[in-house]
Amino acid sequence: MRIFHKKDGGIVQLVDKDEIREWPVELPLIFIEYIRKDKLANYKDKQVEKEIEIYLDEILTEIAIPRMISVLDGENETEIKTVLERIDELAKKKIDLVKPIKPYIEKLDKKSNKNDISKACESILSTFIKEENKKALAEKRKIMRQIEQEFLQGKISGEEYSKARKEYLIMKE
Amino acid sequence: MATKSESWDLKATKQLYQEYLSRNMKEQKKKKILPVETVEIDDLNKAQALKRIREFTDSIIEKIYKNGRPSISLPSRTTGNIIWDEENDLLLLGKQMMEKQFHSLASVADMTRLMKVLEKVNELLLKDLHATKREIFYSAVTLFGDQKNSDKCIEDVASMLYTTRNSTHIVASAKGSCVGRLRIRDKNDIIDLEGLGGGGWTISPMLDNIEIIESDAEFILVIEKDAAMMRLAEARFWKKYPCILLTAQGVGNVAVRMFLKRLSKELNLPVFSLVDSDPYGHYIHSVYLRGSKRLSYESPFLATPKIKLLGVLTRDLDKYKIPNSVRIPMNKQDIKRTTDLLNEDFVKKNKNWEEDLKLALKLKVKAEIQAFSSHGFEFLTDRYLPEKLTTGDWI
Repeated sequence: MRIFHKKDGGIVQLVDKDEIREWPVELPLIFIEYIRKDKLANYKDKQVEKEIEIYLDEILTEIAIPRMISVLDGENETEIKTVLERIDELAKKKIDLVKPIKPYIEKLDKKSNKNDISKACESILSTFIKEENKKALAEKRKIMRQIEQEFLQGKISGEEYSKARKEYLIMKE
Repeated sequence: MATKSESWDLKATKQLYQEYLSRNMKEQKKKKILPVETVEIDDLNKAQALKRIREFTDSIIEKIYKNGRPSISLPSRTTGNIIWDEENDLLLLGKQMMEKQFHSLASVADMTRLMKVLEKVNELLLKDLHATKREIFYSAVTLFGDQKNSDKCIEDVASMLYTTRNSTHIVASAKGSCVGRLRIRDKNDIIDLEGLGGGGWTISPMLDNIEIIESDAEFILVIEKDAAMMRLAEARFWKKYPCILLTAQGVGNVAVRMFLKRLSKELNLPVFSLVDSDPYGHYIHSVYLRGSKRLSYESPFLATPKIKLLGVLTRDLDKYKIPNSVRIPMNKQDIKRTTDLLNEDFVKKNKNWEEDLKLALKLKVKAEIQAFSSHGFEFLTDRYLPEKLTTGDWI
């Protein structure tokens, strides 16, 4: 077990990575989500929460994602479908964590002629697009606020401002 | 007696945990060595157990080809062959062997039953199924005649394969329960033992499917009685004092003891027992501590040598002013059992334990855990247990 020490003398123990490596392919993701959603806040120790977040990210990048990739590259359709469902759920919650899998989904989408698998791939890819757009829009919004300030201070012309505003609105649509 | 309202810091329990933690770092590196005069058995996975059955049957076939008179030898499980390993604090099986002949009128029925059980074990392992002792009996009622016969063969099969009974996929029926700060995995399900209500999780006898995945407990408390467990569960004891509660409703069966062993080994937490202040309670504690004589060959996988007897100690009766009206006079059987316990080597080596049993013999009284209710229903959870865990008043 991996031990985390709390400031009040308490402890939190989480299953070791070596054990997790032996789990069914979708389970590490379920475990990560379970600890994040249902347990982290209960520990009532910011430092421990931070350390556990890091540990969970390690499980994700070292075990969960590589194992999913190996399933996507394989031939077992049932396993592929289960993994695709989990990726879709995760992509909607925390897109950055599953980013490394995107090329594999695209590859699978191209090669698959099975309706269920290609449908699941397309759903995930559209989630990727939506999430990436959301991220780009947030970025653009930040820039737009800066441009507005510069325009009010007379640092840029009305023409430059309208051009930037138009780009922003198109993106927003 | 009024209960103290302030929160106890469980200082002694936390210190004990710190000791375990630093000791474990060193001990993890060295393997437990059993005495040379004892039989060593292994906890096997499915493939290993099947391999051992194949090797065993091959050896019988070889004997048939060689002299036409096959026999099997297995470790003797008689009292004389049970050894107390002082260093590891375990009851183990010595190296005395017994021989069973296929071509003997006296043992032909026994051998046929034994082979039937072996066949059933092979089937269970191949199909990855588990069966209870009762199911094994019903799989060939006419042959076994009485469940005592099939039960004996089940233990014989495990010992002749030099493995634990759980490795044969013959399991005890579910009996105990567990609740508190623990999360486990049962195949693909995550089970939160804090979220199952007061009844908790029924300890699965199919422990090979169970994995401990998370815990923020600081100690484990094994409770003899369901009634005391209910009191602690109703008080949500684990919320205030981070712990895991476990009961077997009496003597711990194989599943409960094996689960406790796993918890203690993997989480490396202090383990305490709360039993009645009578010789039977002390016996229950001793079974968790060193294993039972009947299953001594499995002790390394069932016993929890670091378990402490938290209570109810005989000395607690006066200390906590338990009224005479709820103390029960010892009968002849109690006195005999206490004397028998005092003659056990492992009691003689533990002066505190010996003193408490001698005090019981002197006072000739016993008391149940529920005797604390005479000070109010909350006394057990708000005063007795927290005070003992804070002061380190255990054996």
